[in-house]
Amino acid sequence: MEKKEILEKLTTAVIEGDKNLARESAQNALTIEIDPLEAIDQGLSKGMEAVGRQFESGESYLPELIMAADSFNAAMEILKPAIEANKQQVHKEGIVLIATVKGDLHEIGKNIVATVMEINGFEVVDIGIDQHSLDIIEAAEKNKADIIALSSLMTTTMPYQKEVIEVLDDMKLRDKYIVLVGGGPVSQKWADEINANGYGETAIDAVALAKNLLNNRKQTVAMD
Amino acid sequence: MLNFLDINERALNGPIMSEKEFDMKVFVPRLKSVTDDYGIRYDKDNPVPSDDKAADNLFEAAVDFMSQVGVFCKDTNRIIQFKRDEILQVLKEAPGRCLAGEGKEAGIFGMRRPDEQKHPWFHVGSGIVASSEEMATNLIEGYASIAESNSISISALDSIRGILVMAGSPAEFYAAIRGIKIGLEAIKRAGRPGLPIMNLISTSASALTAIAASAPQFGLRPTDGWLCGTIAEMKIDFGVMTKVAYLLSSGANVGVETAPILGGYCGGPAGTAVISTAYILMGLLAYNGNYQLHFPVHFRNGCSTGRDVLWAVSASCQAASRNIPMPVIWLGYLASGPNTKMYFYEAAAHILSAVTSGAPSIQTPHPARAVKKDGITPMEAKFGVEMGKAACRLNRQKANELVLQLLEKYESQIMTAPTGSRYQECYDVTTGKPKESYVRLYNEVKEELAGMEIPFERY
Repeated sequence: MEKKEILEKLTTAVIEGDKNLARESAQNALTIEIDPLEAIDQGLSKGMEAVGRQFESGESYLPELIMAADSFNAAMEILKPAIEANKQQVHKEGIVLIATVKGDLHEIGKNIVATVMEINGFEVVDIGIDQHSLDIIEAAEKNKADIIALSSLMTTTMPYQKEVIEVLDDMKLRDKYIVLVGGGPVSQKWADEINANGYGETAIDAVALAKNLLNNRKQTVAMD
Repeated sequence: MLNFLDINERALNGPIMSEKEFDMKVFVPRLKSVTDDYGIRYDKDNPVPSDDKAADNLFEAAVDFMSQVGVFCKDTNRIIQFKRDEILQVLKEAPGRCLAGEGKEAGIFGMRRPDEQKHPWFHVGSGIVASSEEMATNLIEGYASIAESNSISISALDSIRGILVMAGSPAEFYAAIRGIKIGLEAIKRAGRPGLPIMNLISTSASALTAIAASAPQFGLRPTDGWLCGTIAEMKIDFGVMTKVAYLLSSGANVGVETAPILGGYCGGPAGTAVISTAYILMGLLAYNGNYQLHFPVHFRNGCSTGRDVLWAVSASCQAASRNIPMPVIWLGYLASGPNTKMYFYEAAAHILSAVTSGAPSIQTPHPARAVKKDGITPMEAKFGVEMGKAACRLNRQKANELVLQLLEKYESQIMTAPTGSRYQECYDVTTGKPKESYVRLYNEVKEELAGMEIPFERY
């Protein structure tokens, strides 16, 4: 099988959410010695970009996003050992720790944001719903997150978004993390009130905001 | 109806799997196959379809889906399953009505059919957060003063004595009973002490505080209505189940609160219509509910007035009103807020879609996606009633023409909609009357809508 064909199959596997095809094509890529980073860049990521475009235009929805991300990850399981053996590194936009705050069981919006972020090159650690503020911070520390993304769908759980920021302050960790907030009752006004770094009205907004804030942070660090 | 202990037993013994497996290996693929098998297709050019066969077909698809998929219990990771013949038996036995209210305000909330001229049950108000107790009292009294209102939703409180209400905290309980007291007092001030409150308990996120605040000494009556939520999509937990058990045992009205999300696991409009219908089955099967509050929304804009959601609303409302004896309050979440013309365009579109499709009840469409504190006024509630009465005079075909015209006015602005004014910006907080400027805007937009041949009553 030729390189071009394998790269196309990797793209197709992601677009169609076909995990078997993804694994098979990843293995074929290694067999004919395609650089694994090229297999990601020119194969898998192109599929993710296509799915991302379909999602933005309303042609596909959360299930297609999840299946695309699952296929991407299935291929990565095959490619990762080769990447490590080559002492290469997969480019990541950043690491996002995402959670729905304490007392809140809503998760579809969080799941959409998590998957869209993954599609856009972020490594996402999703610790789920009803998460205590201290557990969120502990997970961020453990996973070396750059961004903490907090979801709240009820007015009575929004205060826990504020609590996470306050506890980060108390622990002198506030400057370490970019904190983004979102969810139905959340607004820019609320984000400003609690000194969050940003508010994403939609998943696409959240991605753009995350990239922007991270770039600004990197530039600030470079200047220092 | 199924015994609720039987539902408990199924939650303990049904097939076990992870939540992700339920979502991606059961829910999503079965929804796709049912939608394809039954040929459910979104028609963007007809947001209010007039096809009884299609409506009945959608109902059959929902029954098939429900019998294949069931309801997922998050606490046990098991599926509560229902056989097809059980579903059909429950539909035969369901009364299709609920008694609400006391004394002069007592009424039977029952069914309607598509194109029926009978008025829907008018459920007015909203649980949108009020910034203060005074504001809450004003709002609720204003809602209750609308003569045609049959039931009411009361405001939630997000703080008590300056202490933020956090979910599961004692403050949530104190705020809940305070909110109830305000609601009962406000309806008395409006001269309607028997009016049923049917969004209980808006301040309580947790089952524990909802049950605690429902104790009779805090004033609530079995003829009020309690909302018991579902978790998207088609999921339940022990907290809600315990609340349902309490309400069934105390003889209260059990309201099932459901909100399928277009763009989430439901996929597009066709899948959302199937799930929207299936949720009404779920209300009867898994909750023994005797009414339902139902609001399909779009994941991206959080509202119900894009043409895709309007289609899903109309299609599933028709499927349900023709085949499922469950009194459902159809609620729209709007992009725009009070004191804007766009609010009334969106509200008119949603009410036309729902009422002509047989909605047993409509609620005041919620402004600005219900996220703006004090972001609702009695004017929107009044419009909801007037528009609902006008819609009863129309059939689905006419409603479709009007909805298409209304969509032209607001559809392109949904993502940038104005959030409008707060109550205190367009109402006199002392007298509880709207300001002149809002009355003028209201009359202007009503004239505009009347010019489109929406048959408002003339006084």
